[in-house]
Amino acid sequence: MSSTKGRSAARRRSFLRPAGYAWIFPTLIFCVGLLYYSVGYTGYISTLDWNGSAPNPTSVGSANYARAFTDPVFWLAIQHTVISFVVTFTISTVLGFVFAALLHSRPFFGGVYKVVLFVPVVLAPAIMAPVFRQIFANGGQFNWLLTHIGLGGLAQPWLAQSGTALGVILAITIWGGTGVTFILYFAAMGQIDPELLEAAELDGAGNIRRLVSIIWPNVRGTTVALATLSAIGALKTFDIPYLVTTGGPNFATEFLGTLIYRTSIPLGAVGYGAALSILLLVIALIMAIVMNAGRAKREGRADA
Amino acid sequence: MFAIRTSRRRPVSAAAAVIALGLTAGLLSGCSSPSDANAGGDSATKGSINWWGWTPEIGVGKQYIAAFNKVYPNIKVTYKQVATASYDAAIRPALASSVGPDVFNIAPGGGIGSIQAYQGSAVDLTPVVSKALGSNWKSKVAAIGPAGLTTTSGKLAALSVGSTFAGSVWINPTMFAKYNLTPPKTFSEWVSVCKAFAAKGATCFEQGAGDNGFNQDLLHAIADSIKPGVWTKAVAGKVKWTDPTLVKAMTVFKSMFGDGIIQKGAVGVQQYPDVNNDFLAGKTAMVMMGTWYMQYSTKAGATAAVSAAGVANAKPFPMVSIPFPDVTGAGNPAPLFGDADYGLAVNNKSKHQKAAETFVTWLGTNEAAQQVVANSLNDISALTSVSPKFDAITLVDSSQQRSTLQALISSASKISEPRLGDVGTALGQAIGVAVSSVAAGNATPTAALTTLQSASKG
Amino acid sequence: MLDSRRRSSRIILQIVLTLLVIPFLLPLVAMIQGSLAGQGWGNYIAVLSVPELPLFFRNSAIIAAATILIVYVLTMVAAFGFAKLHIKGKSFYFWLLIAALTLPEVVLLTPLFATMTSLNLYNTYWAVILPLSALQLPFTVLLARNFMEGIPDELIEAARIDGANTVRGFWYIVLPLTRPIAAAIIVFTLLGAWNDYLLPLVFLVDPSTQTITQLPQFFVGEFSNDQTKVLASAVITALPEVIAYLCLQRLFERGLSAGALK
Repeated sequence: MSSTKGRSAARRRSFLRPAGYAWIFPTLIFCVGLLYYSVGYTGYISTLDWNGSAPNPTSVGSANYARAFTDPVFWLAIQHTVISFVVTFTISTVLGFVFAALLHSRPFFGGVYKVVLFVPVVLAPAIMAPVFRQIFANGGQFNWLLTHIGLGGLAQPWLAQSGTALGVILAITIWGGTGVTFILYFAAMGQIDPELLEAAELDGAGNIRRLVSIIWPNVRGTTVALATLSAIGALKTFDIPYLVTTGGPNFATEFLGTLIYRTSIPLGAVGYGAALSILLLVIALIMAIVMNAGRAKREGRADA
Repeated sequence: MFAIRTSRRRPVSAAAAVIALGLTAGLLSGCSSPSDANAGGDSATKGSINWWGWTPEIGVGKQYIAAFNKVYPNIKVTYKQVATASYDAAIRPALASSVGPDVFNIAPGGGIGSIQAYQGSAVDLTPVVSKALGSNWKSKVAAIGPAGLTTTSGKLAALSVGSTFAGSVWINPTMFAKYNLTPPKTFSEWVSVCKAFAAKGATCFEQGAGDNGFNQDLLHAIADSIKPGVWTKAVAGKVKWTDPTLVKAMTVFKSMFGDGIIQKGAVGVQQYPDVNNDFLAGKTAMVMMGTWYMQYSTKAGATAAVSAAGVANAKPFPMVSIPFPDVTGAGNPAPLFGDADYGLAVNNKSKHQKAAETFVTWLGTNEAAQQVVANSLNDISALTSVSPKFDAITLVDSSQQRSTLQALISSASKISEPRLGDVGTALGQAIGVAVSSVAAGNATPTAALTTLQSASKG
Repeated sequence: MLDSRRRSSRIILQIVLTLLVIPFLLPLVAMIQGSLAGQGWGNYIAVLSVPELPLFFRNSAIIAAATILIVYVLTMVAAFGFAKLHIKGKSFYFWLLIAALTLPEVVLLTPLFATMTSLNLYNTYWAVILPLSALQLPFTVLLARNFMEGIPDELIEAARIDGANTVRGFWYIVLPLTRPIAAAIIVFTLLGAWNDYLLPLVFLVDPSTQTITQLPQFFVGEFSNDQTKVLASAVITALPEVIAYLCLQRLFERGLSAGALK
């Protein structure tokens, strides 16, 4: 981790640092140039009542935004998005962290475990959706498993009930996302100084102690990055809820991403869809800024 | 001091060099200019055209093109099948560009590839069709075709190749015979047949209630069984959705879930691929599918389908259609409703418009072409003079299937009640919300229909 | 990392690892079973017999290689700037970049399309490569910046004292130390480019430029869906990605900066 010196040292450092504009501008120009037209375009059509191809759209100002705020499905989608973020971030971060620590400890057949964690990230949700529908169907493998381990009473049509459908979607999301957290934690743990761990061992610290007091704090940067990415990912969530349950039953698994898709493509209400996208962008930015707010103070940078 | 070895950077830059070389080579070879096939003018018998559609399948498309090339060898047609779910996302920008497809699919109604959305890019095909079939062309094609593919201003935006109808129920007679049961004709018979199947551990009737489109079919069939034509009137706004007939229909729909006809957990299941595969694999005895299921009556079609459903050593079974049971005892004829499965439209920005029109007209009006369509038993041919030549088709069990198929095809060809053609996008979604809320048990029939009524007004 | 010297600890570690991994394995097993149903290995043969398969592979490889190259170069350069150099209003530029991550792909299609046609790139590989790169960059820059911040400043300053300028410090010191995150970035970019379905579908019109994500299309019709072959094609499509991951495995492990300060 970079040094946590005092303010004056930081200021001194900043004068000694060379300027970095030339380093970041190619990327900024590339991304901004290519994508910001899209952002601007989306912002523009969010003020229209348009179907995407008719020649004369009507301007409705902020009516689309007002509509979003009074749309019960919108709030339901936000609710599900928040729940999804909290649950999937927590679980896949913890799991990824534990897996990374375990797999850094030279178990047997490490490569096999890594592949098993990685493959779910690779597989297209479009392909896995019917497989999952089958697994969680009333006569599917999951219920079969429950019955065979004595929990037959819990067997139910998971995807057909508003109450449990969201849970299944979250489980599938965690299945497909833990590989990412694992890879990142694995890379980050490689940076930890082995001397730290040896010292802890000499002090008699057990595994749990080591995990919590040494390894976890040292991968904090990855955790914050993952939080940011999870937040944005949760907001954009589309594939799994759309392909497995089409946002159903009865909007029980509707997310902001599926709402935007449904509004823009099949319904063709592109203006409303654009307004929702802009709202998504604003929420995402706010969340990202909030999550990283602690950074500047921690680093003590003068130019943060 | 610190020991930073600098040799480590070599693999990184080596990798970068390799990628760069490979990239340059690949781009040079792959970046060739797009099909600049014939820069020459637009001829009706020569050219290279692109066709985009979500249907038919690639194999069937190639079949049509091969038959076309026997008559017009100098027109090269390339068919690109775009997945149903992505069709709209892909075709919109393509049509807006100047290099979009020359021929593209349009469907009636407000669903995928809807005429509502894309008719602005389509050329009026009336002149070429009249030229091909004469000024009385309308009497030579199934009325349901142009009905759904003509705009309100009278432009024939696309030419129907064939139509599909829903409202029928398909059964696995082998399963019925196994448990000594007969296909139900009334609601109470349906309930008792399903009880009997359930007692033996088999699924009786499987519905992909997670799919709004197929729920709509079911509700439509129930409504028409109670009072023929009431559905179309409700869609047109002539009858309120809260009309007692429709409330009764929705109540029957709901009781199918409660009385054990529709399988438990149906709302979490989709018609394709889940229900389709279960039926083909012999796991369920009845499904509500339409005339497009006829393609699985052939030995080849059935074997391939059963194998695709995941059954090893696939053996086909002779599936047959039965009329929709008379669920309220009203004694009305079994409901059937449908539209053009898809129509072929010509892009008004196409640089090979004449060649494209040749292809479209040929597939939609030429007898030989329509015979190919009819014989594949997927769509019911648009040309009324053509019907499948059963002598040339190998069915799984001709004795059980042939007469039912012929009856189904002849009754369907007379139908003019639309299935999707009159339902706009917004109404379709509102109906979907109504049926799924009743199916999931979140709303009573009356409440759901009241919401639908107010949504259909807005 | 964790205590694995005593036999009992190793066994416990292995057991815990195995138990945790089982829920991840089961859906994969279901999927493989599905791909072997019906015609069994015949499904794989059918998929491999699609005549356009090598063409699809080549096209996907071209797009992936170009995207990886662009993303890697731009990411490392930009991340170094954000992490180690002085930029006024750094946060602002950074959030500018992150904001580009937030729009769903589906919403981007029409404006991207307008951009590509005005740049005259429609129906070329660049129409897919450029947006893919631009969409990956915020994500990879975020990761790389974090990682680089973990590289002690002293290393770079020591190099500067020795007379190296910023570029040399970047090239000779920082870059070699970023192996683990570079591997992660390459893997994720490969995934993003290889698996992308919408962009090639919309922006590549020529049948000869289609990518591997179009493969399942051969087995799906309007009213039919050959799940067995779709799953087999998913396995075949995934293989290059898994192989790439395994090959880059070694790079993930070398925690070099850990001992670099000594």
